[in-house]
Amino acid sequence: MGTIVKFGALAAVIVFALFLAVVAGDYGPWYFAWLVGTTMIILISVAGAVMFETQLTINEDRRL
Amino acid sequence: MEIYIALKVLWAVLLGILLTGLAVMVGMDMGVGVLLRLVGKTDGERRTMLNIIGPHWDGNQVWFILGGGAIFAAFPTLYATSFSVFYVVMILLLFSMIMRPVAFEYRSKVDATKWRDTWDWAFLISGALPMIVYGAAFGNVLEGVGYHYSWTGQYFQDESFLGYLLNPFAVMCGVMSLSLAVYQGGTMLMLRGEEPIYSRARTYATLGAVVAAVIFAVGGVWISHMNGYVFTGTVDPGMAATPLGGPAVAAKAGAWLNNFHAYPILWLAPAIGFLGMIVGAVALQLHMKIVGWWLGVLSWVGTISTVGVAMFPFLMPSSTAPAESLTVWNATGSAYNLGWMTFFAAIFVPAILSYTSWCYYVMRGKVKVETVVNDPHSY
Amino acid sequence: MPLIDPNVVDLSRLQFALTALYHFLFVPLTLGLTIMLAAMETVYVITGKQVYKDMTHFWGKLFGINFAIGVATGLTMEFEFGTNWSMYSHFVGDVFGTPLAIEGLMAFFMESTFVGLMFFGWDRLSKPAHLAVTYLVALGSNLSALWILVANGFMQNPQGASFDPDTMRMQFNDFTALVFSPDAQAKFVHTSIAGFVAGAMFVMGISAYYMLRGRHREFAARSFRMAALFGLVSTLAVVTLGDALGRLDYLVQPTKIAAMEGLWHTSTPPSAPWLIAALPNDATQSNSMEIGVPYVLTPLVAHSLNTPIPGLIDLEQANVPRVDNGIKAIAALQQYGETHSATSLATFKQYENDMGYGFLAQRYAPNQDVNLITPALLPSVEQQAVKDSIPNVFVTFWSFRIMMVLGFYFVAIFAFAAYYSLKNQLEKHPMLLKLCMWSIPAPILATEFGWVTAEAGRQPWTVYGWLPTFQSASSHDVGYMIFSLAGFALLYSAFIAAELYLMFKFARLGPDEHGVAAHHSPVDASIAAPIFAKPGFANKSWE
Repeated sequence: MGTIVKFGALAAVIVFALFLAVVAGDYGPWYFAWLVGTTMIILISVAGAVMFETQLTINEDRRL
Repeated sequence: MEIYIALKVLWAVLLGILLTGLAVMVGMDMGVGVLLRLVGKTDGERRTMLNIIGPHWDGNQVWFILGGGAIFAAFPTLYATSFSVFYVVMILLLFSMIMRPVAFEYRSKVDATKWRDTWDWAFLISGALPMIVYGAAFGNVLEGVGYHYSWTGQYFQDESFLGYLLNPFAVMCGVMSLSLAVYQGGTMLMLRGEEPIYSRARTYATLGAVVAAVIFAVGGVWISHMNGYVFTGTVDPGMAATPLGGPAVAAKAGAWLNNFHAYPILWLAPAIGFLGMIVGAVALQLHMKIVGWWLGVLSWVGTISTVGVAMFPFLMPSSTAPAESLTVWNATGSAYNLGWMTFFAAIFVPAILSYTSWCYYVMRGKVKVETVVNDPHSY
Repeated sequence: MPLIDPNVVDLSRLQFALTALYHFLFVPLTLGLTIMLAAMETVYVITGKQVYKDMTHFWGKLFGINFAIGVATGLTMEFEFGTNWSMYSHFVGDVFGTPLAIEGLMAFFMESTFVGLMFFGWDRLSKPAHLAVTYLVALGSNLSALWILVANGFMQNPQGASFDPDTMRMQFNDFTALVFSPDAQAKFVHTSIAGFVAGAMFVMGISAYYMLRGRHREFAARSFRMAALFGLVSTLAVVTLGDALGRLDYLVQPTKIAAMEGLWHTSTPPSAPWLIAALPNDATQSNSMEIGVPYVLTPLVAHSLNTPIPGLIDLEQANVPRVDNGIKAIAALQQYGETHSATSLATFKQYENDMGYGFLAQRYAPNQDVNLITPALLPSVEQQAVKDSIPNVFVTFWSFRIMMVLGFYFVAIFAFAAYYSLKNQLEKHPMLLKLCMWSIPAPILATEFGWVTAEAGRQPWTVYGWLPTFQSASSHDVGYMIFSLAGFALLYSAFIAAELYLMFKFARLGPDEHGVAAHHSPVDASIAAPIFAKPGFANKSWE
């Protein structure tokens, strides 16, 4: 039951995201760009931090 | 056309709900601000009081901003005229309203008596003044305001602002609104505070309810004798929204009671308000805090709907050019605009109410002096 | 109709500009920091490392100091339309008030309600729930900006409403046209992401300060890394969007683009120079000094090689027939207001689109009555009115240039910062770190100049082409204005003093000293500590 609910919720989010993308893409190309761009900015910044941790671990391994 | 009339009435009702929500939520925070130095004797107690409303004041303050925005959109002419006519008072209100968030955020960030004392006074002033202005605005509107329009729709003021400030009826309404705020704020302190805050807050909250009840009664008698406004020409509720070229209006003593005489069921509004205050005071004495809080809400509902019902359909009558008085029929936005506003309100008002309640639920429970003083995030 | 005292109009403009510029000192940081906080907390939830929670706490605390004044001064803006711009509010409230109301309903409520939970809910919410709250705050603050800029977009390029002679105001008639107006769209993205740049520079600059002092190294290095990457992508986006906005202005507000480029005479493509510097003189309508690069202007503005860009003098003179039509429109409108006759309505409808230019002429009509403009008077009224129909070139030209130079400077500094941060070589470049630290206020300055460019370039209109600024104000006495201006000056100076004092105090204190990061997990501290402890070691890290 829990899985079905999770699936349903995920499906709803995806449908909503698609709907938003279609509407924004059709009527508001710049709004669409903001949605995609901001997500990208956050992801790049998060990836930078994760990479920092990886660099640190490699560092540690070399020192040992 | 019928839809337009329905929308106009709907937004008049929503305006009332908004003004009530603002009075309850913002008034509660204002009441705590006013009581800060009276109830809190030590710095720890004062910080506890601030942290009782700490997680919520920001959200509550939005009622005020939303009030401004909704009047702007749904009643553009009312917004344009009333904010300008009451300029000096509005600016004083603004000054206090912008002092509050800053006081909240900054007061406890520096550990110096002088710094904190200064911000404490800022809380007192910025709590009392807006509530007095809020009540006084109702008083002034009931009495009629001096303004007229040029052919382009630009308003012109016919009265000095001193007339609005130094006006016994308006000042009395202001004191009543302040008392209700103290009642609501004190009850909130009882709900989430411990001794000695609890007992002191109880005394002031009860006092607030009693004073408000007395003024409400006196105000009722006063209104029955003062000038109200009535249409003397034929009214078309679906008229285009312009204050120019509307039906004739006359000022008559006691006219604000006309609606009550026509529909005696409306007497329920003042009855609810009055009972809310009296029963509220009793409930607080019996330590029924939650009941007391909701009776505080009822007091506001009763008071504001009494004013609304008495004046309907007038919103802000003009004492110098009565025919240009702003009413529910001539001061609203267009039907298209009201339609969209209704759509957004229907979606977001329930959403706001549900997540606000959720936030109160998450932050529920008593706020203790020790936790506040030891927590680096607290106000 | 009596005109409003010009002094009152000027004082109202001064007050609005001061309060808006002041409000905008705090807005960009709110827009950017909320998103950065969300990014930091995301890393915390993914990796589970305490230091990212500390980062969210610490930068969140500085955000809180800033947010308080942002909210407080935003209140002023919401009320100032009514208190000081009565005619404007009456004229456009039906369409302009709506986005402001929706902003309250949809965005501001969300942001302000959840900000309390974000600060106080750490121990009461699960990790994902708290993360969701932080994202809602970030989304709320940016949605707020969206609706405000939709409203501003209407002032720049009125779409979605038409003038109604019965109510004497613009009436809302097309929701999608209002919300999806290209001006609103480009403006929102440009402004919101400019806020990201400000937030990134703030975090990066303070982290640089810690690195220079050798304090909170592991905390600062991570914050710097995230901010540098965040800022680099954001600046690139801001510059792109700036170009998009410029192109829009070229299409719908030719007077603004001509003023931004200091272009008095229509350009001759393709060799027309783009002015790097000039001294525009508004009185003589010429530039006293010009330094330009040939062949740049046309492709830059028109995105083509052979389109002439109209100059201000030509734009101005092209408005003469619009003034004539506008005078007829205003006369017909006034007559319609009195008689409601079908003929006057028909006349008005014929000249409706030039109505705003009639208002410009009204100022120079005898007794401010357009009916009294005789054929003999007409040429002088026309010339006076069209002189008013262009913005102040000096202000627009220079504020645009300052903003643009700063924009390119940000691209450079973020590029270097990101490069050296990725190589973990920052501590070998103290000059770069110092530059980062001193650049903290620069993005905020750039957004202020951006506001001046957009709004000074919109003049003489409050609603472009429809309502002149001098007719938009409330009919106050000068005394009222002095009272409110003095009060704002006093209060706002006290606030900025308190804000700067607290910001410096807490930034200097850093994350450890006030207990926020006191509970590092020992494992985390032991890994993180050596990074910069031996610079030579850190350099080898990645090669």
